[in-house]
Amino acid sequence: MAMKFDRPLYSLSSKAENDNAKALWEAESLGGMTEDNNRTPVPVVLLVILTVITAFLMTFPLWGQRPTAAIYAEYVKSMNSPEIMAMTDDTAAMAKIVQMNLGKQQPSKWNYDGLRERHPVTMDDMRMIKRQIEALMAKGVDLEDYTVVGNKVVFANFEGNFRADGTRERKQPWWDKGYTIDIFYLTAFFLGVTIVVKCLPSYKWQPKHNHDHSYESDHHL
Amino acid sequence: MLKYLFAKNEDIPAGSSALFFGFSAIVWFVIGTGLGSFNAAKLAFPDFVTGNEFFAFGHMRQVHVMAVIFGWISLAFAMAMMYITPALGNTKLWSEKLGLWNCMLWNVGLTLALTLLWAGVSSGREYSDFPWPIDLYIAFCIFIPLGVNVWMTVINRRTQGIYTTNWFFAAATFLVIIVFLVGNAPEFFHLTGLTEAYLTWWFAHNVLGLWITPVAAAIAYYTIPKITGNPLYSHRIGHLHFWSIVVFYSTPAAHHLMSAPLPEWLKSFASVEGVLILVPAIAFVSNILLTMQGKWHMFVENLETRFTITGILMAIPLNMQGGFQQTRAINWYVHATGWMVAHAHLALLGFSTFLEVAAVYFGMQTILKRKLYSLALGNIHFWLLLIGFTTYWVSMTIAGLIQGAGKIYEVPYIDVVIVEHPYMIARWLGGTMVFTGNVLWLYNMWMTAREGTVIPEGRMAHELAYER
Repeated sequence: MAMKFDRPLYSLSSKAENDNAKALWEAESLGGMTEDNNRTPVPVVLLVILTVITAFLMTFPLWGQRPTAAIYAEYVKSMNSPEIMAMTDDTAAMAKIVQMNLGKQQPSKWNYDGLRERHPVTMDDMRMIKRQIEALMAKGVDLEDYTVVGNKVVFANFEGNFRADGTRERKQPWWDKGYTIDIFYLTAFFLGVTIVVKCLPSYKWQPKHNHDHSYESDHHL
Repeated sequence: MLKYLFAKNEDIPAGSSALFFGFSAIVWFVIGTGLGSFNAAKLAFPDFVTGNEFFAFGHMRQVHVMAVIFGWISLAFAMAMMYITPALGNTKLWSEKLGLWNCMLWNVGLTLALTLLWAGVSSGREYSDFPWPIDLYIAFCIFIPLGVNVWMTVINRRTQGIYTTNWFFAAATFLVIIVFLVGNAPEFFHLTGLTEAYLTWWFAHNVLGLWITPVAAAIAYYTIPKITGNPLYSHRIGHLHFWSIVVFYSTPAAHHLMSAPLPEWLKSFASVEGVLILVPAIAFVSNILLTMQGKWHMFVENLETRFTITGILMAIPLNMQGGFQQTRAINWYVHATGWMVAHAHLALLGFSTFLEVAAVYFGMQTILKRKLYSLALGNIHFWLLLIGFTTYWVSMTIAGLIQGAGKIYEVPYIDVVIVEHPYMIARWLGGTMVFTGNVLWLYNMWMTAREGTVIPEGRMAHELAYER
């Protein structure tokens, strides 16, 4: 079936194909069932659009993405500073560490202040993950590949392939984890469904259900 | 029924396998909800039946879950497929004999599987609790024969087109086989860690999304136009519904693991898709409710329509919950609380059960050519199910919110348990009402088969519901 693009919003099928479909639609009994050819009502279309917009806004990574080891790397360095080591009160020491790193330019171009605010830690938390993060820093790996889960730092967040020179081919920013693939996926879906629906006779045509199909479904029982 | 197992296919009366599946489904519904009521009693009254490990909650909980999913729900689906698929193709079922063997193997296999589970032989993976030989049995002796019968009936139809319901039946029987074989891969190949966790929830999510949800919807696409006599409102919306189920329901498995150390991109992707399950829900609900135009009196007067429309109305809160509770913003609060238990029951005991009950009522009367023995018992069944389920759902939703608060504010666990007590009693009462309703239903359908008024040729059961 070749698609016609002369009136794409009306129908993608030729007149002959549409005429055949209409004749079949009205004549055929699908077990006594009939179907109308109504368009998707405008409020339903609007609801679908609202759903798509809400889906992206609602799942934005601001709302609860797991912390990576990278956001605590500077905290670990600060813990080794003489000023912090001299402090005996853990709460005050942690507050000082947070203050020392506020607004500081990170090795990654993303500012971690917001992420740290959403994933606050205590000195006890830091003591549990400090050595693991230091070991990873010594290995020179990308700390954004690693996730902090309780007292463990685990490899969980593959950020993309490396080039021969050791740099990443492409790394998603923190606000775009999984969204570009979603946009492609959604686009393909809505395009596909639109094509399928537009291959039907236009919604301006409605079948006439003059033929009585009521009892045909039960004839075999 | 058993005498037909060794008869020639052409000698088996049409509708035999649907009847076998239908009665089996109701019996499993009684067993499944009876187990549920028993388990709920153990949560409400911790001293109820102690001292025997076989009656411990940990042994019995998954027996209840699997009896309901693979006993009641899936057998009711099979029943619907056995009479609706041929009806929509103006033909006979491809093989009544295969249907009867399928049902027999289903009952035998499920009995064995649940006995093993009860004895503690379990994979330990929620929703795929059966050990791997049982998984293979379910795939090869239950779902593949079912699929073959459905596909061959569709292929041998005497119509040129295929009605919407049969798209869903044919696709869902194919998809559930894939879900079983891939989703249980951790057991076949001993996969562990995050891979096991992901595939466990891929399985659990897709049993719901690619089996239970689409087949339940397909049933409504049949029962509402059939009983009301109205044309389905929109063939076009049917396309949107079908393809959005396949595309959006198959991908959000990772949203069950939002707190796990899975890649963030995978969780974000799954979470967006999770909200987008509202797309098929919107399409389905609007299509069926618009089909009801001019026939809303049947929501009151007709038992099957009342069950179906109630189930469809439940799809609205179900999908609102399902779409949003998995997002990071809400999941941290409700995860691993009674909220989820309430949501799961809204899906299985609310939405899908109400649609299947309608299909079984309608199909049984059509095949038996007998009017329902007692409409009063049918009405009592409806209200016991609705009030019982609602009591359960509301009490567990409140209990879940309390548990969430207790979890976040680090309230001592035992204090939360004490506060939960009245809600656990309400849960037991609600579940027991559902069980009682199902016992009445079994009696009503048994009596329908034996003593229901014969329906004259050319009439339909629901047309005669109020005639003596």
